[in-house]
Amino acid sequence: MCLNPNEAATNPSHFEESDETAAAHRDIAWNDYRDLIKGMRFFDPHIHMVSRTTDDYQAMHQAGIVALIEPAFWVGQPRTGLSSFKDYYSSLVGWERFRSSQFGIKHYCTMGLNSREANNEPLAEQVMEILPLYIYKEGVVGVGEIGFDDQTPAEEKYYRLQLELAKEAKLPVQIHTPHRDKKKGTERSMAIAIEHGIDPSWVIVDHNNEETVKSVLDQGFWAAFTIYPFTKMGNERMVKVVEQYGPERIMINSAADWGISDPLAIPKTAALMKMKGISDEAIRQVTYQNAIDAFGKSGQIDVSDFENGYEVDQTAKFHGNSILRGGQQPAPVKESLVIR
Amino acid sequence: MSDIVKQKLWEIISRNTSATESEWLQQKGSAAPLELMTAFVAAPRFLAKKIVEVSEDEQWSLDTEIPGFSVNNWSLVRLSRVWLLTQLDPSDKSEYVKNIETLFDTAEMNELVALYAALPLLSYPDQWLFRATDAVRSNMGFVFDAIALHNPYPEKYFNELAWNQLVLKTIFNDKPIHLIEGLANRANEKLAMTLSDFAHERWAAGRSVGPQVWRLVGKFMNQALLADMQHLFESQNGDDRKAAALACSESSLPNAKYLLAKYTDLEKSVRSGELTWTQLEHS
Repeated sequence: MCLNPNEAATNPSHFEESDETAAAHRDIAWNDYRDLIKGMRFFDPHIHMVSRTTDDYQAMHQAGIVALIEPAFWVGQPRTGLSSFKDYYSSLVGWERFRSSQFGIKHYCTMGLNSREANNEPLAEQVMEILPLYIYKEGVVGVGEIGFDDQTPAEEKYYRLQLELAKEAKLPVQIHTPHRDKKKGTERSMAIAIEHGIDPSWVIVDHNNEETVKSVLDQGFWAAFTIYPFTKMGNERMVKVVEQYGPERIMINSAADWGISDPLAIPKTAALMKMKGISDEAIRQVTYQNAIDAFGKSGQIDVSDFENGYEVDQTAKFHGNSILRGGQQPAPVKESLVIR
Repeated sequence: MSDIVKQKLWEIISRNTSATESEWLQQKGSAAPLELMTAFVAAPRFLAKKIVEVSEDEQWSLDTEIPGFSVNNWSLVRLSRVWLLTQLDPSDKSEYVKNIETLFDTAEMNELVALYAALPLLSYPDQWLFRATDAVRSNMGFVFDAIALHNPYPEKYFNELAWNQLVLKTIFNDKPIHLIEGLANRANEKLAMTLSDFAHERWAAGRSVGPQVWRLVGKFMNQALLADMQHLFESQNGDDRKAAALACSESSLPNAKYLLAKYTDLEKSVRSGELTWTQLEHS
């Protein structure tokens, strides 16, 4: 769940100073960066594909994104009934997963009741009843994204209940940290997780910034950073965070959704890190491996599914028939005026 | 469904699982419905990700029990899920139907595939007709395949309208129709004529139609279809010409015979049995 640019509250940073090299690079076009990340593979552990187009899928595949995690979130329009939740959850493991497979990207998800809608208590109560049906599904790699938004008592109640659910199902937890009063909200989320006896190495704290990262890492949690224009991290700031803290337990995501966001945030940031002299191994950790290690604790990620490219034909075969076509979407020529 | 089928499925499973896996399955298979249903969902967390090995004997004996039913190339998870479904107690109909409906309602893609593959084995077969036609409407390829291909349920229970939709959608998606169970048995005139219309649309758009689809028209040959055969005989694609020859040879219409006689080489190879539809199944 991501901040609407209209309610932007900038997070002032220690690191924000104008840096000449960074300023110069700002003018370099994406096409010029591409060669820098040739052959790299990326894993986006937070992106809301239900809000994205097929163009995005194609661009992501082309840029080297081989797998992604789609957390259950607030879709923009508040849901008024249980069936809307049910169908949404089903789409994460059904239609959207299939759609992604057609573009050669392995699709995982996390399941949870988002903090905003936790405030609709009568509905939240019903959602909690059906959630257990979904968290054991194949390819569900965590409970998420859960946590605080307004930091109300209702949000806390459902956050705690879902932490228990994650513990029971032996699943990692993906925490959404609030946009407003972020620092306190992040601390509170972590304290409650620890209070529930959850091992910090099973918790991914998302949407960090320069102000929150130190405490998150010091306490043993995973620190995820969302590269999202205007309201979250910019990728130049991200490079500095990696320079300062190193790649351990840090991961990058796009959290691309229905707002102005960028599904190529990871490959772009990788290119920028490469330009700034960050090692290939460190880049690999923050854009691929750490996400796999963290969410892989679910037992649901088999890297052989995607590490050498995600073969649609293989999947088709796995579904018990020998049809080796009709899976992957053909790529139309975008620049052509003629549509065939 | 007979206990023999359950037994045979279990034999294949036990040959393809470790001791821990088969113990887990056996325990869940005899558990209360809710626990069994949860196991149906959670199966991939407890079972190896692999394709089961099925011997020819095993396949043959399954086919004897339920003609057209096959588990070839199934994953262990899919086979185990189907077996778990056969372990649900059907004696209380409303309870049984409610449980299966719940699984359908909350299913992810692979669960749907298992549920549709299990349809020929479920009790109260008429009860699943809407679900089955819904799978034909699905745009998730794997789900569609699970009902349309290698599945004997549609042949047995679909009415003509639903059957024709299934076949047409298979053709429309360029999937191989010879994998549909009962394709020849359920051929009908309406389907043959719709196929002709469909081919005209494709041709108008400068696209082609898979040659083997013409195996559906032989018995229903008429003037309109003969014109299509003429079109195919004139095609640049050799497979189109072969398809026309085969379709004409299956018609009792004298005009079809005359048309075929014009293409002596093709006529000869059809008559000698050298040319069959099987050769067109790759395309």
